[in-house]
Amino acid sequence: MRRMLALLPLALVSACGNPDARTELVIQRFFGACQAEYGAIADPGKAQGECGIITAMINEFEAGNPDIKVVENTVFWPGYDQLTAQLAANGPPDLVTMHSSAIPDYEARRLLEQLDEDLAAVGISPEQFTAAARAGVTVDGKVLGLPIDVWAPLWHVNMNLFREAGLAVDGKPVLPASPAEFRAHAAQFRQRTGKPYLIQITNKDFAAPTRIFYAWMLQQGVPLFRDARHANFDSPEGRRALEFMKALYQRGDSARNLDYAGAVSAFLKGEGGVMVDGTWMVGQFDAASGNERSPLFRGYAVRPFPFLFHARRVALVDGHNWVMPRNARRTRAERAAARRFLQYFAANDFQWARTGHFPAFRAVIDGAQWRQLPHRGDIAAITQIGEPLPKFVRRQSPIEFIVGEEVAAAYTGAKPVDRALADMQRRANGILQSY
Amino acid sequence: MPDVPAMRRSVTWNRWSGVLFVAPYCAFFVLMLLIPLGIGIRLSMTRGDLFGIEAFVGLDNFARLFADPVFLQAVWNTFCFVLITVPAMTVIGLALALVLNRTSRLAAILRAIFFASTVLSVTVVALIWRLMLIPEGGLAAVLARAIGEQPVAFLSEQALALPAVAVTTIWWGIGLPMVLFLAALQQIPRDLYEAAALDRASKTRMLFSITLPAIRRTIALVLVVEIILQFQLFGQPHLMTGGGPNNSTRPIVLFVYETGWKQWQLGYAAAAAQVLFALIALAAMAQYYLSSRKDAA
Repeated sequence: MRRMLALLPLALVSACGNPDARTELVIQRFFGACQAEYGAIADPGKAQGECGIITAMINEFEAGNPDIKVVENTVFWPGYDQLTAQLAANGPPDLVTMHSSAIPDYEARRLLEQLDEDLAAVGISPEQFTAAARAGVTVDGKVLGLPIDVWAPLWHVNMNLFREAGLAVDGKPVLPASPAEFRAHAAQFRQRTGKPYLIQITNKDFAAPTRIFYAWMLQQGVPLFRDARHANFDSPEGRRALEFMKALYQRGDSARNLDYAGAVSAFLKGEGGVMVDGTWMVGQFDAASGNERSPLFRGYAVRPFPFLFHARRVALVDGHNWVMPRNARRTRAERAAARRFLQYFAANDFQWARTGHFPAFRAVIDGAQWRQLPHRGDIAAITQIGEPLPKFVRRQSPIEFIVGEEVAAAYTGAKPVDRALADMQRRANGILQSY
Repeated sequence: MPDVPAMRRSVTWNRWSGVLFVAPYCAFFVLMLLIPLGIGIRLSMTRGDLFGIEAFVGLDNFARLFADPVFLQAVWNTFCFVLITVPAMTVIGLALALVLNRTSRLAAILRAIFFASTVLSVTVVALIWRLMLIPEGGLAAVLARAIGEQPVAFLSEQALALPAVAVTTIWWGIGLPMVLFLAALQQIPRDLYEAAALDRASKTRMLFSITLPAIRRTIALVLVVEIILQFQLFGQPHLMTGGGPNNSTRPIVLFVYETGWKQWQLGYAAAAAQVLFALIALAAMAQYYLSSRKDAA
């Protein structure tokens, strides 16, 4: 009896060990957790939304590769704090989702594996990527990830309200082509519907005001950053963009006090004409347009940003990619498993593009199957004019937050426009000059 | 004749046993506090990120901090927050303890209810209060509309956002001072109140002449603990306002987090952390000194 008791801890320790002989592939991703709904679905075609589709894709990969055990770590968006800590502790996952805009930060510290050879080994060539997708993963000629999409901020339009406001022709939204026309449309919209033209986020989640500000600046033909150490926000073009948006807000043509969730909810409840949000919302809003009880019923359209300032036709884009953090302890078998995972995602780019994002592969974007998806023809122009921020600009995410915070302060009148521009410039330069 | 060697052995053993009792604490204190503090001070004089130090910059980070309006605003926000929450938590905690310091079933239930919020995580607390305070469909907005008023955007108005975060924190943290005061109140001998009652002392007189002097050490403890806790404000503004609007709710710890983790300026963040450490130490020592002087008097 005593001997059995003595052996009990040993048995418990053995039971805690990993008897699974499969190669373990640790992946880390954002896009949310939805195991309750999609945990048992291994057919991406039956899934909807970013979370549903990626969960089903990973399930399908695991089912088709029984010799690989996928350990999936879902992180709160965007998950870079965890990744940075994992890298500092020498325990990163094998593959991680990463925005194109974040790649320069990690590459500058040599924290990512170059993947040219890995991709070539499974038959993937960077030539197959779209121009924006390729630019997103390439730094100094090195390919540092597998792009899975390109995304852009868009104008999601409530066509039912647009029709009521007299801003629809032949079932299509009439969008402004100049600041003056924008003001006129917004005033007409407010007068006829009693609602604001624009639903935008000005509280807590500051990425959206930044993207609008960036868009109006880029359309004036100036760069957002003069060089790797200096922003270009405090400029005549920046002032013009911010003053225009502030006036719109102050006139009541924009919803107020909304955070991200509040803005999405307000748009779904039909409380404004246009919501500025990314490609990832196309699927959800399109689904709402098929629901009889939704204010968007048979009344949803989506368009690229209108061109108000005509110096340059350009759309700011970013992208999602799989990257491989450096890990000296990664075995050949684990790296081979990661290659097969990348191969699977490259082969199923169409399924991922059902989320609303633009495909990362030219073959998919040129194919009829993608163009037949709802609304894709209306936003396909972005694939021609989309440009990511230059790779020499590091720390894009915290700068985006700072710019949005200052833009929102100018909107609400908490700061004069000149001071908001000077502050965003000073704070951004402080970050750019800190390394 | 006493056995002198045996007595000596006993004294030596008592001395060493005392050292053994405090040794684990001392080891943890050195490992988990003093050494990290030293590393933090060293980091604050460097430029670098989590993946390495690039250069020794002396006191440049501190000079930069004291010229940084965002940091100075964060220091101001933190002080304002401490000034709102610490007195409020002390007074409300004491009031609740005085009211609930009885043996009835209702008092026990109310004690549990008031303490319950303390066990919630900051994420849950921030979510609950955010949902209550948002002007689109929040509870506060519904109540405002019910009485014919326009909803107030508590978390978007510069003047209201920090008080809203403070109210959230008071609701969340009121359990700890209440319990500390309850424990202190239960230590006061009953016969003092009986003697006062025989002398026909009023309730107010008993409060100021018996209760408050008897629990003055607990009041000092609550003040010191709350000052230290509230200076470390982070989760509530991080989750409720993101530091906005217009930097009006960004406390020092959120500044440290954003600078160190989001912006990868580890040396700069470490310098801000040293300033926070100095502020907390000064505030706690000042409070301790003042309460000690009162005791001596």
